[in-house]
Order: sequence, then C-alpha cells, then structure tokens
Amino acid sequence: MNTPSKRLLAAPILLALMAGSAPADTIRVGVIAPLSGPFAIWGQQFQQAIEVFQAQNGTEVGDHTIEFLYRDSGGPNPDQSRAMAQELLIREQVDYIGGLVFTPNALAVAELLTQSETPGVIFNAATSIITQQSDYFVRTGFTLWQVTVPMADWALEQGITTAVTAVTDYGPGIDAENAFRSAFEAGGGTVLDQIRMPISTTDFAPFMQRVRDQSPQAVFGFLPAGPPTYAFTRAYNENDLQGAGITFLGTGETDETTLDALGDQALGLHTAYHYSAAHDSAMNHAFTAMLAEMYPDSVANLASVGAYDGAALIYHMVDVAGSDGPAAIEAARGYAWESPRGPVSIDPVTRHITQNVYIREVDHDENGRLINREIATIEAVPDLGLSQ
Amino acid sequence: MKLTPLTKGLLADALLIIAAVVAFYAFPYDLAFLTRIVIMAILVLSIDLILGLGGIVTLGQAALYGSGAYAAGLFAIHISGDPLLGLAVGMLAGAAIAFLSGLLLMRAEGLTLIMLSIAVALVLQEIANRARDWTGGADGMRGIRMDPILGLWRFDFIGQTGYIYVCCVLFVVLFALKVLKASPLGLMARGIHESPARMRAIGAPVYQRRLILYTLGGAIAGIAGALAAQITQLVSLEVFNFSHSAEAVIMLILGGAGKLYGAIIGTVIFMVVHHLAASVDPFNWLFIIGALVLGVVFFVPQGLLGVPTALKRLIGGGK
Repeated sequence: MNTPSKRLLAAPILLALMAGSAPADTIRVGVIAPLSGPFAIWGQQFQQAIEVFQAQNGTEVGDHTIEFLYRDSGGPNPDQSRAMAQELLIREQVDYIGGLVFTPNALAVAELLTQSETPGVIFNAATSIITQQSDYFVRTGFTLWQVTVPMADWALEQGITTAVTAVTDYGPGIDAENAFRSAFEAGGGTVLDQIRMPISTTDFAPFMQRVRDQSPQAVFGFLPAGPPTYAFTRAYNENDLQGAGITFLGTGETDETTLDALGDQALGLHTAYHYSAAHDSAMNHAFTAMLAEMYPDSVANLASVGAYDGAALIYHMVDVAGSDGPAAIEAARGYAWESPRGPVSIDPVTRHITQNVYIREVDHDENGRLINREIATIEAVPDLGLSQ
Repeated sequence: MKLTPLTKGLLADALLIIAAVVAFYAFPYDLAFLTRIVIMAILVLSIDLILGLGGIVTLGQAALYGSGAYAAGLFAIHISGDPLLGLAVGMLAGAAIAFLSGLLLMRAEGLTLIMLSIAVALVLQEIANRARDWTGGADGMRGIRMDPILGLWRFDFIGQTGYIYVCCVLFVVLFALKVLKASPLGLMARGIHESPARMRAIGAPVYQRRLILYTLGGAIAGIAGALAAQITQLVSLEVFNFSHSAEAVIMLILGGAGKLYGAIIGTVIFMVVHHLAASVDPFNWLFIIGALVLGVVFFVPQGLLGVPTALKRLIGGGK
C-alpha cells in the first residue's frame, strides 16, 4: 500500500501538539469503493485525494479527530456494498459513509442510511434519482444531465444545428442520449440519427461511416472510459470526421487518467465536464501540486475531485454537527465553498452539488503534455436530470 | 470407532447447525456478511447437484440465480412482499429457465455445453438491460420492500432475522438434496456422471434425467437469487455476471465437488479468506485467493474435504 512520506504524516501530529488539548473523540468515515479488480483505479484516486486533503487540512476539526476507513465494493455489486455498509455502521460504528462509484451500489445502501440516520456522501454514482432515495444522501460528483445539457447548449451557440448521437447501449449511455437530445432540440437543433452501439463494440468504423454519411455538424459521443473511448476516438480520426467538418462533442471521454493513452489523436476533441486537472485556480494548483508530491505517478481526475470535495464537505458537517446525522445534513444544505474545480455549493433541495461546467478542448500544455484546456464556462449548473 | 454413513451424516448436520448458532452469537456485528455466505452456499449447492452429482459441467449458473432474483424482486414490488411466497416464485423462475434452456443445453456436452450455458446468462443479462421499465436496467431494480416473515418476524437493521431466515432455507435445501442424492434419481445421476454411454446401454433415459437434474439445480439457484434480492432489496444486472458463476464453481472445487458439505465448506473458506484478505489489504487480496485455489488444486485435487484422506495417505504411506 502507498503511504505518504513521514514529513507529511508529521504535519497533522505537530498541529495536534500545538492545539494543546487532546481531541475529545474520533469521528470515523467509512469509504465504500472499488479497491480491487478492473475498477480499482477509483478507490485509489479516492484514497489519494482524501490523503492529500488530510495532509493540507490536518485530521482534526474542532474537538474531533477524523479517521477514514476503506472497504472494497469490487465492481457494481449491490449485495457486497450493502453488507459492507452494514459492517461499517454496526461493527466499525462509523458516523459518515463516503465513496459509492456505481448507481446500484449507492441505491443498495440508501435504506441503511435512512434507518441509521447516517449521512452518505456520494463521490461519484451519477444517476439523478439516487439522492431522492434517502434524505441522508449528499453528492459531490456530477450527473450526466448536469454536464450533457451545457454541451448541447454550447454546440447551439457555436452555430451547430444538426447532430448525430452515438452512445454505448447501456443505462448511462441512454441517459446521455436523452439529455443531449432534449436540450439540443429544445434549442432548435435537429438530431439526425441516434446510434446505440453494443457495449462490447471494438471496431467503431461502421458507426463512424454512418455518422459521416449523414453529414451532421457534430457527433455527440458517450462511452465508458477506457478502451472503448480509445477505439472510438481513433475511428473518429481514421475516418477523418474532423476533416469532414463534424465536431466531436463529449463529456468524460478525455478523462485525465486515459488522456495520455489516447495520444495526439485526442487533440481538438471538445468535451463538457465539471473538472479538468488543468483548471486555472490557486486552489487547484495547490491540490495538484500536493498530489504530485505525495503520489508522483498520479494525476487528478473527476474521482479525485469528487473525493476531495467529499472530504471537504464531511469536514464541514463534522465541524457544525459532530456525529449528529440529521444536523449534519442540515449543515450540508446550501453549504458553499471553493473547490479545486471552482466555486461549488450543495443544493438545499436536491442535496446535489451545484457547480460550474466547463467546455474543454484537448490541447498541449507548455511541457507538451495533453490536457483538457477550459475554453468556456457555464456557471453554477444544478442537477438538470430530476425535472425530466 | 467406525461410523455408519447415516450417523456420520447426522453428526455433520448437527455440527453445521451448531456452527450456524455459534456464528450467530460469536459474530453479532458481521451478520450481513454471514448472510451472504449462506446465500452463496445455497448457490454452490445447486452447482454441486448438477456438476458434482450429475457431472453436468456448466459455467452459467448465474442465469438461474439471476432469474430467481429478478422474479422475486418483481413479485415483491408488484404483487406481494411476503418473503416465503417470493422465495417460491424465485424457485419456480429458476426452475423454468433451467428447464427451457436445458431442453437445448442438455443435448450438448463438454465445451459446447459450457459455452452455451455462458451464452444463456449473457442473453438474459441483455434482456434485463433492455427491459429498463421493468428492471431498472443498469441502475438496478429498486423498491423491493419485504413484509415480516410469516407476518411475525420483521427484517431488522442488524440482520438477525435475515440470517436466521437464510440459515433455515439452507437447512431445508440441504435436507432435500440429501434425500435426492439417496433416491433412485440420485443414483442414476451418479451413474450418468461415471459413464453416460453405459447408462444408455442399460436403458436409462440419460437426456431426460439430466434435464430433470438441471431443472432441480435451477430451482435451488433460483432460491439463492430470491434470497439475495430479499436481503439486499435491490437487484442489478450483475446477478447475471459470468464471474458469479465462475466464483461459485471455484468455491465448489475448493471444498470438494460431489459432497454436499464440500460445497458449504468451500464457500465458507473462500468468502472468509476473501473478506479477511480484503480488509487487511484491500488492493492486493486477489493474490491470496489465487494462491489458496492453486494450492488446493495442486495438493488436494479432491477439495478441502479430501484433506483428511490425503493426510492419512501421506502418513500411512498410502495403499
């Protein structure tokens, strides 16, 4: 396991000594995330971001010491997540639950949170309905509607009026397709074709040809991060859709952890997202610099910022309410703070994070590395999925 | 002292019940985990019936498990929250899917059978994915609320009711399997396992018997799926995952195929080692599981239940 350097560990201890009095109690936070298997990168990003946060802010809030515990959920596995949440709540006596990458996993713990009055901070699971399933859910991630609607609006502003959607045929893909279509058509655009690609597709050339044949001004793509995105963007380039004047519009396809693998073929891809590791703010520079110092091989992405802000929100809740669950949720409602992704706040009604959405273009930074360069900002976007 | 098979069996049953009771009091905070072990043990038992007893090698038990889970979930949401009725519905769904797919599958053998059984699970997964209005698709089917068992025992937060409930079901399943194993059908299944050609030569309807066996296995897998749906109160597409079928087969091999207690011991060891290793080192626990399985396959191919025999042979010089 990775451990931060001794110097960094020493900082909070020094702080504790300077504070003079021993802390009154320990507040435990159980993080449920994939730590093994194909999705292990999520758990790793969460843990590193939380350790960066603790290195920057210490482990103490008021009289409380905050301790994070991790439990492996594997992939999407509601049985395992529920059992893990039960173990954390009953045996480990945690006061807060965090993590939760996949929607079924989050839904499976909803009732436990309500029954035990324990706040659950969702770092990622992105379906809009989740926060309605328990009054104790708060989300610091994003929803598909939240980033897809701004993408459609921005495309319309650029004078794009015809588009084809090409999404992977599974739940989130269909959500993205619906979100894009409804926003794009509401703004006067026309969706010429809606292509749903099987989840196991490896050769995207036929789909790209189909897009090209209809000569839209843009193609909106949604694919799970990883190899499919790689193959999709390669097919986009090999079939020279850019040359044919078809703009690529996406959301999380150019995730920082996979961007280097995409290589120069990703240059010029347009995506709308809530966080870019290249976001230009003092807060983000401090975050990425500390992350690079503690974990030189790591790069910040949406998972990191979800966990970092989750930790920030938990610190705030502990500061106001200690281990009192209902009071902590009240404290979270409407709380606004500065995050590495920009100014954010928790919507008092939906308990989902309201945040800026950035239109980004893949570009080289001064060192020649690929980054998501932010070229436009849509400010304070709430979750747009619940009204649908 | 020499024990007769009957007393041996009764002794093992008594030990199992004592172990279940001891676990209940010894690990009051881990009941959710223990409940998952018991549900998994029922699924592994269903594989033991078709693979261990009947010699039908499949890697698609998740299809039957998942059908039971979705059927029980749909029943609970739309018709009644009664757990026992839901269990019956899950069992019927598992049996029905096993029978229908078995009509084709049981004609095949070896690799063909394995591939076909995987295909059935994949097809069902895709159907569940498409039928979003019914199943919730990739988000999972939510809204399952269970009534108290027999109107008396409410499912509680710590999971005491759930644990006792699944243990009772496990004992009933185990008892039924014991009866089945000793029945003419069970004996015929063993014969088919040893040599289908010879059984055919003496006039046994091999295809029909294999189909019955597979359907019964489907019923038990359906029960396991229904229990999982009732305990977790959510069903997701992952119930049909290949890894589910594969892990269950590994547990069976670990404990020893063809012996009912082997299925239970294999499940307990696999899941406990998994759990402990994963909480000690959440990032690298797979290595430990891998080493355990390799060790068992190399040194005691009969499974962990074969350990005493293997030791006896080692000490006594073998015969």
